[in-house]
Amino acid sequence: MMPRLNRRHLLILAAAGLVSQPMPALAQSDPLRLAFIPQENPDKLLGDIKAITAWLSSEIGVPVEGFVTIDHAAAVEALRNGDADISFMGALPFVLAEREIGAIPLLSEVYRDTPSYTGRVFVRRDSGFKMLADLEGRDIAFADPISESGYMYPLAEFERAGLVSSPDAAEDFFGRIFFAGGYQQAMQAMAEGLVDAAGASQYADLLLTPEQQSQVTWIAESDAIPSHVVIARPELDAELRENFVAAMMKLNMPEHRDKLRYLYGPDGYVEADPSVFDGVRTMAQRFGLL
Amino acid sequence: MIQHVLRVILFVIVTSLAVTGPSFATPAKEAPWLPEAAAYRLTLFLGNLAPVPWYKVEQAWSEPYHGSEYRLGALAWLDRESAVDVGDLTDAIGWQDRHAVHVAATRLIALRIEEELDAATAADNPAVSQRAVATAKELYRAFADHIKAADPDAARTLGRAWLELNNATGSAGVLGAGAKEQDSDAMTTARAVISAYLAENYLVADPAPRQTLTAVPEAIARTGQPVELPAALPPGSDIFDQDPLPLLVLNFEEQGIDETDLPLIAYGDMLFDSAEIFGGPARDLGIACSTCHNRSDINQRFFIPGASHQPGAVDVDGAFFNPMFNDRRDDPIDIPSLRGLRFTGPYGRDGRFASLRDFSRNVIVNEFAGEEPTPFMLDALVAYMTEFDFLPNSLVTGDGQLTEAAPDAARRGEEVFNRPFVGMGNQSCASCHTPSGNFLDRKSHDIGSVAAAYEGSHAGALDTPTLLGTLYTAPYFHDGALPTLASVVDWFDETKNLGLTDAERSDLTAYLETVGAADEPYEAFDTANTPFRLAFAELTTFASTLDTLLPKRDAQHILVLTDTVAADLAADAGTMANLSSRPEVYALAERLAEVGAAVRAENWAAAETSWSLFKTDAAAIEEKAF
Repeated sequence: MMPRLNRRHLLILAAAGLVSQPMPALAQSDPLRLAFIPQENPDKLLGDIKAITAWLSSEIGVPVEGFVTIDHAAAVEALRNGDADISFMGALPFVLAEREIGAIPLLSEVYRDTPSYTGRVFVRRDSGFKMLADLEGRDIAFADPISESGYMYPLAEFERAGLVSSPDAAEDFFGRIFFAGGYQQAMQAMAEGLVDAAGASQYADLLLTPEQQSQVTWIAESDAIPSHVVIARPELDAELRENFVAAMMKLNMPEHRDKLRYLYGPDGYVEADPSVFDGVRTMAQRFGLL
Repeated sequence: MIQHVLRVILFVIVTSLAVTGPSFATPAKEAPWLPEAAAYRLTLFLGNLAPVPWYKVEQAWSEPYHGSEYRLGALAWLDRESAVDVGDLTDAIGWQDRHAVHVAATRLIALRIEEELDAATAADNPAVSQRAVATAKELYRAFADHIKAADPDAARTLGRAWLELNNATGSAGVLGAGAKEQDSDAMTTARAVISAYLAENYLVADPAPRQTLTAVPEAIARTGQPVELPAALPPGSDIFDQDPLPLLVLNFEEQGIDETDLPLIAYGDMLFDSAEIFGGPARDLGIACSTCHNRSDINQRFFIPGASHQPGAVDVDGAFFNPMFNDRRDDPIDIPSLRGLRFTGPYGRDGRFASLRDFSRNVIVNEFAGEEPTPFMLDALVAYMTEFDFLPNSLVTGDGQLTEAAPDAARRGEEVFNRPFVGMGNQSCASCHTPSGNFLDRKSHDIGSVAAAYEGSHAGALDTPTLLGTLYTAPYFHDGALPTLASVVDWFDETKNLGLTDAERSDLTAYLETVGAADEPYEAFDTANTPFRLAFAELTTFASTLDTLLPKRDAQHILVLTDTVAADLAADAGTMANLSSRPEVYALAERLAEVGAAVRAENWAAAETSWSLFKTDAAAIEEKAF
C-alpha cells in the first residue's frame, strides 16, 4: 500500500528530483482553497465557484476548492488558520488583514483599463449644488461606514475642502448622514430626492435608470482607490502562489475572458503592487480602523 | 465593492422608468428579484391578461422566473426561507380565482416584509440586521413603484423610513474595526412607519376586488381614483439587443451612398428605431421595430413572460400590447428576419399581407396600438426596410448556385435538395425554396407544421421563408419548434417519409448551413467601433433629416424625431466606454430637445438655431463618442 503523502512530502520529493511529472501537475494532494466573500445571491456564487475552481484546477494541476465565508473577518480567520489559502477582498479589508496576519496581495482587479477607481459626491443636476460647501446643513447618503468609495474617500474630500475637520465631526457639517446600505440605495435616495447628495463609487450612477443618469452629476471626486485584490496567506508555498497567479493572469486572454464572470466580473487582473495600498492604509488610520 | 457595482451596472431597475415624456428605446436591465417578489409581479402581469393563463400563474410560483439567478421557484424558496403560510395562495391559484390570488399574493409579500423586519429588529448584531433589512427592502420593491405612483407623499415618507431603518442597523465593521452598534429605538421608530403602512394597505382583512391587478395601496384603490402606473415588464423579461449584434446590410450603404443624403430613408430608419410610433405599453417600454428585428434580422433573446413561449418569440396579437387586437389565442410566433424584405413578400408568417405598407400599418396600429401613421411615415418606413439586403455569402451565387468555395458535403446535399420525393408530392425542397429566387417562392403552403385549430381546419398554410442567412436565425419554423437546421431536415425526413440515409441527412444539413451562411453575420465591435459609437452615428444620421423637415415646417414629423432621438441619445450615454464624455452627450441631447420645444412653441427661428448648434456640437463630440 502506498503511504499517504501530503503536499509537504511531495514538494520535498519534487525538490529531490524523485518526482518527474511535468508541470502543470504540481505535486499536491491537499487542495488549494479559495475563500469567497458573498456579495450577491449565494446560489449563484456557489455555481460560479464550482466553475472557476474546476478551471483553475485544470490549469494549476492541483485540486482547487472554493467556499463562501460569512464575511471578510471569517475569510481572514480562514487564512490565518490555514482553512483558506487565498481570498478575494476589498482594499480596506486587505490592509487590515495585512496587519493582522501578514496577508500578501497577489492580483488586483482591472476595470476599464485600470486597477483603481474613485469615489464621488453626486447630486441632482437640478439641485443647484455646484461645490461641496453648498451641501452644508444638507442630508447626504453614503453606502456604508466601512466603504472606501462609498464613504471614506468621498468624506475625505470634504476634509480636503476644509469643510469637515475629521470624520467624527462630519455630523456638524451635514444635516443628516445616512448609511443607506449600498451604492444603489444611496444613489436612489439622492435621485429620488430623499437626500440631497450621495457619496459612492465613480460608477454608481450607472446603477440608476438611463433617465435618472441624465438627471444627476457629481461635484467632487476622490483620489484613486485600489480596486479589489486577491490575497494569500503568507505561508502559502511560493511556487503554488506563482502558479495560481499565472493561471489567473490567463483570464486576461481572449479565450478565457468569459470566465471572469465567475469572479465578480472584473475586466481582468494585474499583478498587485503592494505600494498602491499606502493611501488606503493612511485612510484607515484616519478613520481609526488601523 | 467596485466589482459589485460594475457587475450590477447591468441590473438597473427598469420598473422605475416613468411613462411621462419620450420613451427610451435603450432599455435598462433590472436588478435580480427575490423569488417571491418576482412571482408576485408576474402574477399581477399575467392576471391582467385575458384570458388569464393560469398555468403560467402557477409556474410563476413553482418555477424560477426566466433568467433568474435563483435556482428555486418562489414556493420552494419560501419553504426554505420563511415561515409564512402559502396555503391561501396555492388554494386560490387552484381555484383560478383572480381576486383571491391577488389578495393572497399581496398579503404574502406584506407578511414576508414583516417577517424580515421582525428578524432585523430581533437580531443582536448589525450584520444580521442589515441583511434582514436589505431583504425586506427587496420585497418592498414589489409594491414600491405603485406606491410612488399612487401615493407619492407616502412613498417619500416610506423612503426616508427605509433610510432611517438601515442607518440604525449599525455596522459590523471590518475585521473588528469600525463597528457601530445598532440603534434599537431608531429601528423601532422607522419600522413602525413601514409596518403601519403595510397594515393599512396590504394586510387589510377584506380588500376590494380590482379590475386591474396592481400593487396600488388599498386606501388609494378603494377611492377609485385613477392611478397612472409606470409601464413595466414583469421579472424575466428581456428586450435587450441580441449579442452578438447582427450585421446590418443596407443596399445603398454597400454602394457607398451616405444615408444623410437620403432623407426619406433616414427618417424611416429613425421610425424603425422609434417607440414613439407605437402606443402604450410598447411605447412606454421603449419597444420599437428594431427591438425584435435587431439590425433588420431577429432578436433571439427577446422574451416577455405571458407573451413569449420561448426566447425569440412573441404573440403580437395577445392581451398585452393592444387589448383591442387581442385574438384571445396563445399563439406566439418566432420573430422572422427582415433581411431581403423587398424579395420576401407576401408578409406575415401566413402571407396575409401582399403589401409591405399594409403590413407595416397593421404592426403600428393594431399589433402595437399606435396612432394612425401618416402617409409620409409609411413611405419612409417602407423606403428604409426595402433597403435591407441579405447577408453577403461567398459560398452561394446570386442565383442560388454553390460556388467553388462551398464544401463537398454541401454539394452532395444540393443533390438531395433538388431531388423530388414522393412524400412531398413529387416535389423537392427546391420546388418551394427556389434557389434562383432567393430560396423562396412567394407562396403559402401547408406542410403540416401547424396544429389544426379545430376539426376540419384548413388554416395551416404558411409563407415559404427564405433560406438565406438562416444559419444565424435559429430556432426554426413559425413557432420556433425546431432548434437546429439538422432538426429541420430530420422533421421533413420523418414526417414526409423521405427515407434519407444518415449521410444524406448530414449532407442536406450541410447544404442548408452553406446556403444560410454569411461572410460576416455579426457587427464586429472593437475599441474604435463601440456599441455607443454605432448608436451615436445612427442617431445623428436620424437627426440629419431635420435639414429637410425644418425648412418644410413639418412640425408633426419633426417632433416624432426629436422625441425619439433626444431621449435615445441621453439613454445611450450610459453605455459609453468613454464615460467622461457623458455630460457632453447629455448636453447634445438637450440641444435636440430644444429643437422640439421650439417647434412646439412654433418658434422656428429658435428651432433652426438649436439645430445648427446641435450639428456643430455633434461634430465636436464625434471623435470622443466611444
